[in-house]
Amino acid sequence: MAISCSYYLEPVDTRDLPGRFLEAFAAILAHSSYAPVLDAAARAGARCGRCTVACPVHQASGEARDIPCNRTELVLAVYRRYFTLGGMVRARLGNAFTLDEGHISRMAEDLYRCTACRRCKLECPFGIDHGLITHFGRWVLAEVGIIPKALRVAVREQLEGKTHNTSAIPAAALRDTCAFLEEDCRDTHAIDVRFPIDEQGAEFVFFPAVSDYLLEPDTLTGNAAVLTATGASWTIGSQYFDGINYGLFYSDRMLDRIVSLEAAELKRLGARRILIGECGHASRAAKAFVKTFCGGRDAPEVVNIMEYTADVLRRGLLHLRPGTIEERVTYHDPCNIARSGWIVEQPREILRTICSDFVDMTPKGRENYCCGGGGGSVSIDEIRPFRTKVGGAAKAEQIRRTGATTVVAPCANCKKQLREVCDDNGLGHVKVVGLHDLVLLAIDAPASMRVAAGPKEGA
Amino acid sequence: MDAWIALARGPLFRISLAVFVLGLGYQVAETVLSAFLAWRRAGDRSLPVGAIARATARWVLPVRLMRAHPLASVASVVFHAAILLVPLFSLGHVALWRTGTSIPWPVLPAGVADALSVAALVALAGLAVGRLSSRVGRGLSRAQDLLVLVLLGGVVAAGLLAAHPAWAPVDARAMLLAHLLLADATLALVPLTKMAHCVLFPFLQLVFEVGWHFPAETGRHVAIALAKENEPV
Repeated sequence: MAISCSYYLEPVDTRDLPGRFLEAFAAILAHSSYAPVLDAAARAGARCGRCTVACPVHQASGEARDIPCNRTELVLAVYRRYFTLGGMVRARLGNAFTLDEGHISRMAEDLYRCTACRRCKLECPFGIDHGLITHFGRWVLAEVGIIPKALRVAVREQLEGKTHNTSAIPAAALRDTCAFLEEDCRDTHAIDVRFPIDEQGAEFVFFPAVSDYLLEPDTLTGNAAVLTATGASWTIGSQYFDGINYGLFYSDRMLDRIVSLEAAELKRLGARRILIGECGHASRAAKAFVKTFCGGRDAPEVVNIMEYTADVLRRGLLHLRPGTIEERVTYHDPCNIARSGWIVEQPREILRTICSDFVDMTPKGRENYCCGGGGGSVSIDEIRPFRTKVGGAAKAEQIRRTGATTVVAPCANCKKQLREVCDDNGLGHVKVVGLHDLVLLAIDAPASMRVAAGPKEGA
Repeated sequence: MDAWIALARGPLFRISLAVFVLGLGYQVAETVLSAFLAWRRAGDRSLPVGAIARATARWVLPVRLMRAHPLASVASVVFHAAILLVPLFSLGHVALWRTGTSIPWPVLPAGVADALSVAALVALAGLAVGRLSSRVGRGLSRAQDLLVLVLLGGVVAAGLLAAHPAWAPVDARAMLLAHLLLADATLALVPLTKMAHCVLFPFLQLVFEVGWHFPAETGRHVAIALAKENEPV
């Protein structure tokens, strides 16, 4: 029986798949912190159903398989049967659950219908983190070769490809892009920004989602404008410049290897801190796991660009023209930076300064709804109808209710997803931008950065 | 009948209480110990203790509960309050707690205890109806979920009728015996069922937080265990 799921897979070796799945399950339990997690969930799961009201996927699909408790149960059934005394005894007595390819297939599908937004944890009276159990289940699946092809191919290029980044941008092309962005900013905004590359001893090494170099020039230029205007000591590393970490979505083994590349680049450049661009999962992956995998207390500090910008704004080092943005603007909280409460107020401080008509969605901040593209699903183009019509339905309704014409989403993945959500849900008039796209329009650059406006394109 | 009541109130109660205390003690100890061992292996040992405490407090003071499913939430809060307060502070139980001890123990007025018991029964019925009347609720429910409701409902109902012989359809002594036997069974089952959450829930918040704090070498060790050190992505 082949694995059947709605996303593309590379060929999976199905020989003794249940046996290999259990071997991977056991190896991960033995060398990780998941055993107490599964044990606690297996003992305490009350199945009270509160998570049903928290999950935007279940709210839109109405399907039982999208209830977080049920998804967790897929993993716990295996744990109880094969890794607890009770399960082994029941198996001796007969009539016990047996892992087969059908169950593995169901996990392959259902665990990737979750956007890993972890909103359900907020509603669970016992604090059961279904997101963590899904995270574990995906890792076990990955060890038997069940990984969405889009994620696997990107990680392969990042770890083993010539370019070491998910968009396969060669270092020479990076240099050209940065030079172009500098020139374009002079021409378009009449300010001189710098994209320093490979400067030794800088305070920050900057890792945006690498796709920003291809798709989000205004976000990157806005980042550079803030850093230049405030005299930041920063650089981009030519040997590793990608903040994206899809290991977070399917394998702690890959997660470790990818954050270690960031730490290694920092060391090569003799820098002190990691600066992550506008990207939710890249920020969380670095913030939470550089410490885990790269030195504990001695690991370099991780800062998100929005934290930096809010900080220099508060300290009066950055000047923004109040009310520059006149259309109605709302803000989407990326789950990976908002669920823990890490970055909630900082972007709002900036937006309230530069927007004359800023409105929040409801709910917001820690309780926000996922855009529907979380957990790596945004990269899986073949499931777009599910992502935008089911996963993104709650978000589309939130945006509609604000009446905003611009949604600020400080995350490369959320931006891609929200553009598709808007297109597929009758919100084609809504523009989705990064936070620093607007900062770039509102920045009151110091005189040292101002240049005479060059000829505009088409002028 | 009196001999059966004495048995249920004496040796059986002591056995049940011992299972309850030792069982929950074991569960707490195992949970805390496993969380501690996982934390010791973690590459990043910083824990957001404040966030864990706040998350626990949010469910001890369940203002948040009211926002989603308000009816079910009210039923749940009333039910939990009643089954904590009545066993500990109703007159009949306090007499039991005071036996052989000199600990001063507050007593709920009989009217309040009765009102709480009735409220608990109504709430239990509401929770049961809520589970069984919706497709989602039925789908989520295991036999255990319904049996626990029936068991607790039986304890409360029998206790209420035993305290008010005039309301009892059968001999009040029989109701008392039923109450005692069901209560003994409930106590003994707490550590073995989802009712263990009554003491486990603060520790669960801790376990799930520690769960995100992976050992620094987890990936390498898993790769070695699965002979994948040199396997390409």
